[in-house]
Amino acid sequence: MYKVKISTVLVIAASITFISLFLGPKLINPFALSVTEKNILLSIRLPRVIVAALVGSALGASGAILQGILRNPLADPYILGISSGAALAAALGLLSGSYLFCTFSTPLTAFIGALFVSLLVGLFGWKRGGILPERLLLAGIGLSFLFYALLMLLISISSDAEMRRAVLWIFGDLSLTDWSLIPYGFFLIISGLLLSISRAKALNALMLGDELAHSLGFSAHKERLLLFIAVALMTAASVALGGTIGFIGLLIPHIVRFLIGADNRALIPVSALCGGAFLCIADLIGKSIMHPAEIPSGIITAIIGAPYFLYLLRRKDVLTP
Amino acid sequence: MSLRHNQPILQFNKVEFTYADHRAFIDGLTFSLANGEFIGLLGANGSGKSTILKLACGILRPSAGSVSLWGKSLPAYRNKDRAKLLCYLPQLLDMQVPFRVRELVSMGLYPYDIPPGITVHEALELVGLTDKPDVFVTNLSGGERRRAFIAMTLLQEAGLILLDEPLANLDIKYQLELMKLLKNLQEKKNISIIMALHDINMALHFPKVMLIKEGSILSFGSPERVLTKDLLREAFDVGVDVRKDKTGGTYMSYEKNF
Repeated sequence: MYKVKISTVLVIAASITFISLFLGPKLINPFALSVTEKNILLSIRLPRVIVAALVGSALGASGAILQGILRNPLADPYILGISSGAALAAALGLLSGSYLFCTFSTPLTAFIGALFVSLLVGLFGWKRGGILPERLLLAGIGLSFLFYALLMLLISISSDAEMRRAVLWIFGDLSLTDWSLIPYGFFLIISGLLLSISRAKALNALMLGDELAHSLGFSAHKERLLLFIAVALMTAASVALGGTIGFIGLLIPHIVRFLIGADNRALIPVSALCGGAFLCIADLIGKSIMHPAEIPSGIITAIIGAPYFLYLLRRKDVLTP
Repeated sequence: MSLRHNQPILQFNKVEFTYADHRAFIDGLTFSLANGEFIGLLGANGSGKSTILKLACGILRPSAGSVSLWGKSLPAYRNKDRAKLLCYLPQLLDMQVPFRVRELVSMGLYPYDIPPGITVHEALELVGLTDKPDVFVTNLSGGERRRAFIAMTLLQEAGLILLDEPLANLDIKYQLELMKLLKNLQEKKNISIIMALHDINMALHFPKVMLIKEGSILSFGSPERVLTKDLLREAFDVGVDVRKDKTGGTYMSYEKNF
């Protein structure tokens, strides 16, 4: 029964991701491709769907992991300040005119910023030989406010059009994706996913508290550090690829928990797949309904996801990490 | 793993420990326990019972001296191997976890690559929760929750179980049920149990009691020897007397001082 449930969710998520390749402002029939259509498919649609799937997977899995290690149902990948740090770094990079890496400059500075903030928040959260959940959460919130304030300061004193574009990009936009970044994003996100799935039992045990995790044969400090590294890699890569996209990291893990239960061995991979599929749908809707104008995916994810989540919340009785 | 049965299962050798804030302390604690014992660790609040249990399972490390398990120094064990020999249940089990009873209990198998024998269903049978495998742990009563966690430790198949105040916050009915359950398990599976408690009445039911004051052992032995008026006054700073009646039940009298 449990396996059937998981398989059903997985098949639906995978099919959605695949089908979204052929839908859009212009429908493409996969059985009768013209040359133009093949071009659209390979150089525009495919990279965009891959990026959406990668970013959504990273956010869904990171959310599930963070809600577990922080033992807090409100945790999401952005609560630790990683995204605001990335945004600030990207903005600073643009402002100081570092076009050193040409098309890579914004994603690269965002990625470095995200990693730097992860390190900083990890250091602030460190006490007595390991990362403590409450400290990590509070450090993240504190840093997050600081970076947003600095970002706003930069925006308010800058009139640079390039700057404004970057800020828009940072707040969740998949319209500029191409193939160039995908291999790096793929490597980082898949590494983070594999690392976290291999530590899923430990995460289950950590949710019972450090002492019970110890009793079950896990070193709480070591496991939390590994899981935090996985989250930092995935979040940094996802921000660099697609900017800041809300909702998925916070609510997809809850929705998946409603559907298949809380065992992280299933929750992490299924949240990843559902997050990916969900962002594909959101992006598809965002680029189609007001074509040629595009609505940022972050807005769509919240508008269609939140009511579904609230519906589940009314029906089921569990909402804990 | 082969266990040497003539070895003491747990040994404290001149163990010292101080918390970072200098609160509470263990000063040169030495004792050893044979296999198959059921011991009540009795003491007033803050006497160091929890600290001793945490030192025994390696959550806390002694600042001097050593703790050994089956004759081998505790830190020398790999985490997973230690978990197959020893498990610990903290006092508070009211964490908000989204797991069902079945999921929680099966976590007891985590130290193992191949399940050692007992199944989730059998463990639930032993603790009397066969009707609730799919209930969320958060929806269990205090007593049921305690039993669910004990079922988890049963799957862990550890020879030594450390329980920190499992009787606290339970009605007398559940306290007695839990004592019965643990005694049965202890005899049936020949495991050793050390249970911290502060209920003097209940301590009378243990084959052996270790009375603790300020991190050292005041007395250790049969309840008749340990639970005397003088020793209890020293441990609890109150005039208190406990006895068994003809039926084996216990009663306690104390000096009223208010």
